[in-house]
Amino acid sequence: MENKVSSACDTCSHFNAKGLKKLGVNTKNFDFVVALAGNPNTGKSTVFNALTGLRQHTGNWPGKTVVRAEGAFEYNAQKFKLIDLPGTYSLLSTSQDEEVARNFILFGKPDVTVIVVDASRLERNLNLVLQILEITDKVVLCLNLMDEAKRSNIKIDVRTLARDLGIPVVPTSARFSEGIPDLIQTINEVATGKIICKPHQIKNVPENIENAVKKLSTEIIKQFPSIPNSRWIAFRLLEGDTQIIEALKTGELV
Amino acid sequence: MNYNPVFALLIFFAVSFLGYLLFRPRNGWFWLIKNNLKSNEKTVIEDILKQLYHGENSGNEVNINSLTSALKFNNSIIVDVIKKMSINELIQFEGDVLKLTNSGRDYALRIVRVHRLWEKYLAEKTGYAKAEWHDMAELKEHELSPEETNVLATQLGNPIYDPHGDPIPTKSGKVADVNGEFLSSLAVNAVGKIIHIEDEPDVIYKQIIAENIHIGSQIRMVENNNQRIVFYAEGEEFILAPIVAANITVAVLEKDEIVEENMVRLSSLKENETARILGISKESRGDNRRRLLDLGFVKGTKISIDLISPMKNPIAYLVKGTSIALRKDQASKILIKKD
Amino acid sequence: MNKNSIDNIIALSSDLRWKIGDDFHDGLAEGIYADASEIANGSVSIDNEKKRFRLDSKIDKIVTSKTWGFPIMFMILGVILWLTIIGANYPSAMLANLLLDNMHPALKGFASSIGMPWWLDGFLIDGVYLAVAWVIAVMLPPMAIFFPMFTLLEDFGYLPRVAFNLDYMFKKSGAHGKQALTMSMGFGCNAAGVVATRIIDSPRERLIAIITNNFSLCNGRWPTQILIATIFIGAVVPASFSAIASLSAVIGIAILGIFFMFFTSWALTKTVLKGEVSTFNLELPPYRPPRFWKTVYTSLIDRTIIVLWRAILFAAPAGAVIWLISNIYIGNESIATLTINSLDGFGFLLGMNGVILLAYIVAIPANEIVIPTILMLTVMASGIPGGEGVGVMFELDSANATGDILKAGGWTLLTAVNLMLFSLLHNPCSTTIYTIYKETNSVKWTTVASILPVIMGFVITFLVAQVWRLF
Repeated sequence: MENKVSSACDTCSHFNAKGLKKLGVNTKNFDFVVALAGNPNTGKSTVFNALTGLRQHTGNWPGKTVVRAEGAFEYNAQKFKLIDLPGTYSLLSTSQDEEVARNFILFGKPDVTVIVVDASRLERNLNLVLQILEITDKVVLCLNLMDEAKRSNIKIDVRTLARDLGIPVVPTSARFSEGIPDLIQTINEVATGKIICKPHQIKNVPENIENAVKKLSTEIIKQFPSIPNSRWIAFRLLEGDTQIIEALKTGELV
Repeated sequence: MNYNPVFALLIFFAVSFLGYLLFRPRNGWFWLIKNNLKSNEKTVIEDILKQLYHGENSGNEVNINSLTSALKFNNSIIVDVIKKMSINELIQFEGDVLKLTNSGRDYALRIVRVHRLWEKYLAEKTGYAKAEWHDMAELKEHELSPEETNVLATQLGNPIYDPHGDPIPTKSGKVADVNGEFLSSLAVNAVGKIIHIEDEPDVIYKQIIAENIHIGSQIRMVENNNQRIVFYAEGEEFILAPIVAANITVAVLEKDEIVEENMVRLSSLKENETARILGISKESRGDNRRRLLDLGFVKGTKISIDLISPMKNPIAYLVKGTSIALRKDQASKILIKKD
Repeated sequence: MNKNSIDNIIALSSDLRWKIGDDFHDGLAEGIYADASEIANGSVSIDNEKKRFRLDSKIDKIVTSKTWGFPIMFMILGVILWLTIIGANYPSAMLANLLLDNMHPALKGFASSIGMPWWLDGFLIDGVYLAVAWVIAVMLPPMAIFFPMFTLLEDFGYLPRVAFNLDYMFKKSGAHGKQALTMSMGFGCNAAGVVATRIIDSPRERLIAIITNNFSLCNGRWPTQILIATIFIGAVVPASFSAIASLSAVIGIAILGIFFMFFTSWALTKTVLKGEVSTFNLELPPYRPPRFWKTVYTSLIDRTIIVLWRAILFAAPAGAVIWLISNIYIGNESIATLTINSLDGFGFLLGMNGVILLAYIVAIPANEIVIPTILMLTVMASGIPGGEGVGVMFELDSANATGDILKAGGWTLLTAVNLMLFSLLHNPCSTTIYTIYKETNSVKWTTVASILPVIMGFVITFLVAQVWRLF
């Protein structure tokens, strides 16, 4: 299903439309795994469909995609497998959706995690973004629904946002396929290591919690020097997450 | 086919009635027999120990008479068990007054620990109604082994207080202090915080639940006499009989501890008013509380009404740019300060 | 890395956890949102000067208003159901004509021309093929109409408002407002309704919605209700009122189903589901114009075809079983006749007969084939002329002819009323049972959801039969 990409970026030097092939459900022999996370109602599935050329249906509802959907695309001869995770507000509670999303980012170790956020409700969406940034550092922020934000007279300084979060930010309007080429290009650059993220760490944690987290994460790093997200594991241990305790015992986290 | 429909109906109703007698909740014969089979000597011993422990804490002396009237067991069984307990040095007699020995007290603390931990578990991890916690814990306290109790405690994060505000004894038998006075003795104009709501007797506890009085709420006493006790909490006025108020314990707050004067419940917000969230009441627990926090009902957030449903419940609130509907009982557990 | 040090970490964490106390989640959530709002303030600017016209809130004010909220809702649902039931008639008739009236004889002719033995031809064509063809003819058109319309409303964002309006009523019975939607979905297909309960994120309310979905009269059952009501209820009143009488009888059954749904939800929360965690929150998303063709396409693929495929998988063996029990003889009687005779007593007690009970047993896979099976079994058991042959399901073009066969089989008005009740209150079809198992992953809840309605059906039809016979 080859789609005509109509965007200014179509012709610009660093995106080569001819290099893009939407592979639909053909997810064999891929080079990179890309996870798609985001709040409900952010057009996550529209982004998924725009990238893969699939027509997965998800309603205007929170929590529709409970089963994770898979798709693929090829860019510059490299195959990307895309996993659409359930839309969640957070990864801290223990609902079924959140567990699926959390487990994939944590144990599935995707090469890139794309977080789709609603540009007109940025603050609310950042809750999930900041949590994911504690788990993984290979993240692209897809600032979707730019058209709706524009209609609500909301302006977003993309460069400041990218600097504050320490990750690349790509504005899109997936319904109209705007910004998708840029998104693919950025995914590629993060996957291949051209862009190195320095993700924001949660700062405003109350002091007693912060101290406990520091203490615990130092211990964790001592035991598992290669663990990338010791702080987040400390958060989970302090919450008494039995699944994480189990994973720590079996060594699944490393 | 020849038969009499009346006869068929009679058989049917007889069978249904029998089924009802057997299996109705709580007092069905089946459950009674099942519980009776379980209520062996161990249960009797543990219940006696608990009575003595509570008697010790409240300063009431316990003798055989008061025990037999407090416990539902057969008197001869109780006397039998008391004999055995005194041989095993769990209790000792001082005159006709029964006292716990040190080992008896340790045992009693273990039972109290299981009871309160289980109430905490029911509050945090299940959907059982508040009024049911106590009875369920009464059964569970005789079932859990010390190892199971410790696993449960770890899972719950070794909580210090149970949902009623009673301290949970630790593994080694330490009990945190509860320093407060009964609501019935709080002076007029004094400010306090509810730290404990007694769940026995059942009748009074249910009355307190029905009033929607929450643990952790800040209150200000308005009127206190023999007839009635009137106080304000979270923007609402409450009127209680002194006998009911005596089951509520409050910690008196000094001037510098008083956090928020104009704290009201979100359920009192009107259309076109705006407010800031001050926090979520301790009464909202477990998944419910976590979900609210994750949805952005956190301290300092601006909130206003977006939509009211035709039946006035639920109401959709505008929080951080999104419209989220909450039911009235949820909204009454979110505390705000109106702008 | 050794086990000891991991245990140390865990011990340290539970120690720290104890020190922090109850407020960990509160503190963390507040902290994250504080960061979020700092970052958002740094990069977002809202131009409040240009007063924007909020069409959203205008629509919302109307669809959730006291005066208009409910009428609009009932109107939309009514129109969808009406379009589905009436609109599905034509394609259904066409499919039936093609698959049953033309393809079936053609296949039979082909089988005899290649000299297929009678038993193989009967097993495959009269059994398996016929059941599958029936399910497709009856099930496909209504689903292909219902699901796209429902999905369009869903994509537009109207459905969360319905949940919002109705939550108060559902809360009274311990359920979630979103159950209004899974229930409506159940009017299309219970299996799809059960899948749709995923939108309910509270464990207790989701189980309630799954277990009670069967009380929504699904597409497979509407035709049975309409047929039986036309034949028997319509005949009670003067001819000029018969259409209205039978229609109200069918609607009455559907409303009775809603009543049972509320009652069962309430009973479940008070008993077996008491301990499940219950939470509530409902986001009202902004309205977004749905993309029409895409939605139609995806809802066809995602919902209709998947559900249809499952139904076919279950219908095929059922067709085989129906044919086999009618054609395998023990002594002088076929298995079907023997079973009917042994079920007759119980059936009579319930105001029905052995044929109906056997039909409901063998037609577990799909409610669509209940009527054809009943007709076939009635003809076989009572020895009246008609039908297509032993073990071959059939239906007649006119309701009158169908009524004649049923009356010859000993049916009365009571049989008809109780069949309508039992069609509402019996176990879910096997597609739905399988779906419930997939969704709950629990044998316990699947069993409850399957057994509960049958028991209710037995009790209700029994009571109706006895009271009826009293007068």
